[in-house]
Amino acid sequence: MTTTTSSPWALEVRAVSKAFPGVRALDAVNLRLAPGEVHALLGENGAGKSTLIKILTGIQTADTGQILVGGTERVFHSAHEATAAGIGAVHQERNVVTAFTVAENIALGNTPTRHGRVDWRAVRDGARRVLDMLDFRIDPDTPMNRLSPAQTQLVEIARGLYADSAVLLLDEPTASISDNESGLLFDVVHRLTDQGRAVLFVSHKLEEVFAHCRTATVFRDGRSVAEAVQLADVDRDTVVDLLVGRTLAKLDVPDRAPDRTSTPAIELRGVETERGHRSVDLSVHRGEIVGLYGLVGAGRTELAHALLGLDKITGGEVRVSGEVVRIKDVGDALSRHRIGYVTEDRKAEGLFLDQTVARNLTVTVLGQLSNRWGVLRRKAARVAADEYIDSLDIRVSSRDQIVGQLSGGNQQKVSLGKWLAARTDILVIDEPTVGIDVRTKGAFYRLIWDLADQGKAVLVISSDLAEMVTLVDTIAVMQDFEVTGHVANTHDYDEMSKAVIRLVHRTSENVA
Amino acid sequence: MSGDTTAADRSARARRWSAKDLLRRQTTTLVFVVIVGVVVLTVQSSGGFLSRISIETFFQFLAIPVVIGLAQMATLAVGQMNLAVGAIGGFAACLAGILMADAGLPVWLGAVVAVLAGLACGLINGVIVVLTQINGFIVTLATMTILSGVQYALVGTRTVTSDAWPQLQSLGSARPLGVPLIFWLSLAIAGLLSLAYRHALVARKMLASGGNPLAATLSGISNSRSLIAAHGLSGLLCGVAALLVLCSLPGVNKSIGGDWLLPSFAAPIIGGVALTGGGVAVLGTVLAATIVRLVDTARAAFQLDPSWVNLVIGAVVLGTVALGQANRRPKGLVRVRPTGPSRASTSEATPTGGVA
Repeated sequence: MTTTTSSPWALEVRAVSKAFPGVRALDAVNLRLAPGEVHALLGENGAGKSTLIKILTGIQTADTGQILVGGTERVFHSAHEATAAGIGAVHQERNVVTAFTVAENIALGNTPTRHGRVDWRAVRDGARRVLDMLDFRIDPDTPMNRLSPAQTQLVEIARGLYADSAVLLLDEPTASISDNESGLLFDVVHRLTDQGRAVLFVSHKLEEVFAHCRTATVFRDGRSVAEAVQLADVDRDTVVDLLVGRTLAKLDVPDRAPDRTSTPAIELRGVETERGHRSVDLSVHRGEIVGLYGLVGAGRTELAHALLGLDKITGGEVRVSGEVVRIKDVGDALSRHRIGYVTEDRKAEGLFLDQTVARNLTVTVLGQLSNRWGVLRRKAARVAADEYIDSLDIRVSSRDQIVGQLSGGNQQKVSLGKWLAARTDILVIDEPTVGIDVRTKGAFYRLIWDLADQGKAVLVISSDLAEMVTLVDTIAVMQDFEVTGHVANTHDYDEMSKAVIRLVHRTSENVA
Repeated sequence: MSGDTTAADRSARARRWSAKDLLRRQTTTLVFVVIVGVVVLTVQSSGGFLSRISIETFFQFLAIPVVIGLAQMATLAVGQMNLAVGAIGGFAACLAGILMADAGLPVWLGAVVAVLAGLACGLINGVIVVLTQINGFIVTLATMTILSGVQYALVGTRTVTSDAWPQLQSLGSARPLGVPLIFWLSLAIAGLLSLAYRHALVARKMLASGGNPLAATLSGISNSRSLIAAHGLSGLLCGVAALLVLCSLPGVNKSIGGDWLLPSFAAPIIGGVALTGGGVAVLGTVLAATIVRLVDTARAAFQLDPSWVNLVIGAVVLGTVALGQANRRPKGLVRVRPTGPSRASTSEATPTGGVA
């Protein structure tokens, strides 16, 4: 361990500033992290958290200011230097080498070698050590491209633990993993802090922050507006006020009473898939929002894929508005059955990041916007794009702005908007608010409620139980590729979480 | 714990060699194609193809395609291309040839010059790519043109005959175990590369940079270094190919290397190297080079016009890439806890760990 006793702080950030062309990302921010504590770094999207993380991990350098690790001033020029100084990090984006195995990804950059040769046994053993800490049972030799996004995220966390750092930075590690896995992560985090290490935890989930962090620093618009706040002394509303700079109206859950007597918009009866789903029953009515909750690997995203024809359905039947259908592919799902799918991994699957907002919004309806010679009617495309920019309240400088420049929340709106543009009746939304800040989340929930009120059937896949309890009408619980039960949502978190957790553990107990 | 470990390891290894995987692998297909090709040629020539002379000639002209295929593979592995493979090889061979013939350079030094000239050209390519941030395609297109010009300036229209380097020529005509030494040499290089890509840290870093540059950066791996190393390696192998030219051809002139570009791409692409980077396939590249050589032999045997070879190879390259896309089944996700024996097969993993 490299902890020195000369400084009371494991990590200290003093008046660090960083400017990019046109943006002042960080304006003299401060941060102090004591050994043995979990410290939250809070801020809305664009507040500068990720920039600070990049500076602390050597991806970027600060323009001015100091960084002290264990009392010694440091300037990092590469991720390697940061790791060597005892700073480990779990990054927000899923950054793995898919051609490598789980083990090699975990060790990447710190690969144990003997005489320039990779020591594979040590790589595997080291990987297994951290995977065991997370109780993530996967063969370290598994190729990375076989993992789901959530499993990939777990590997990223394992990578952060691998280097045995005195300071561990966690940049939204729980954004795409289930509550159960988050629980395991926090067990590890508390074990690390018990050993005297310091953990910086970046998250949008205030429940987690209050449950696990002792102190917090709040960033707003590139400034630190609160430093080392003792979380025991403040309440949630105070923190939210600090985050958004004004009191946020508490989210009112509307009284929703969807009509379940009509024929369901989409219904699954005893569906079995190539991936191993067994006797899945699920139905969503017009105007209803059904949540599909489950742990990582429960088969939720895979079910959505099967529904859209991306995976093969091997048994049972799928009915759209009462009629048995066979959906061949996404185009078929969209044009014949009006099913849209907002993907979990919006950066990789949902958007053309280097194209304009207008092009992204109209990509699903290019056929309708073209004349009979196949030439795009530009005016019609502009009108269509503007319609959804307006109705979804997408914050853009113009419809010609590049999507990659938008904040996470607005990107997600564009991703949703393109399916609305296609006039879908059934929407499958996978992890709607991953990596989106508190304020945008509320707006997004309202948007989904509105869509349901307009008569759309919505199936929401989420690992965030709090989100489920707020957003949906019925929660279907999936475990081990089976739907283990349905719970009507009472919007009471304690009651719902108990009911859902019971269902999650039902099959595993039976099997064990 | 350690008991667990070995059990898991064993099961992983067992899975790696399951018959299903073996069938699915590209290498198996390539071996099959090679066997079919040999059988067809043997039958067509009534066994003449397997005669000593014919076998010698076959391998004599296989050594260089193998090495230049590997040279191209080195750049493909980091997501780059090296259009200058032939130009570097031609330039290095002519430079060494002129120095030995006209400047009286000792022959052993000439051999070293050929290899080092290749390495230097590759490193220069890499440095230019890194410093200018220009796509490697354009950079190597430019250096290809420049080096071809230099090659012409060196030898003009003359052919520098191999009389000036008799020692290399005798190496080239050595036939241990009935197969040309230079082919053994190319196999040794392939073996070394295969080991290096599996075990050498610098090679794993290249593959990491090729597979996901951002992940590499976040892990403290320098993508710039990986690019320079990959282009350097590519150049070095071109230099080795130049040395094989000096050993095996009757002389060097301006046309050396001029027809290397297509075969250099054909071998790794048919061999299963992804154009996007992050992976290599040494055995596949060697096998694919063998297939190209078989096509060439068949062309001679059936007395077709030489242009047929390019047509066939071009079509095969296109076909391989197309097949590779079509065969890419939706990737099965591994579930953390497989619970039923009925579904165990779905979680079976195909090893793709960077090196095939």
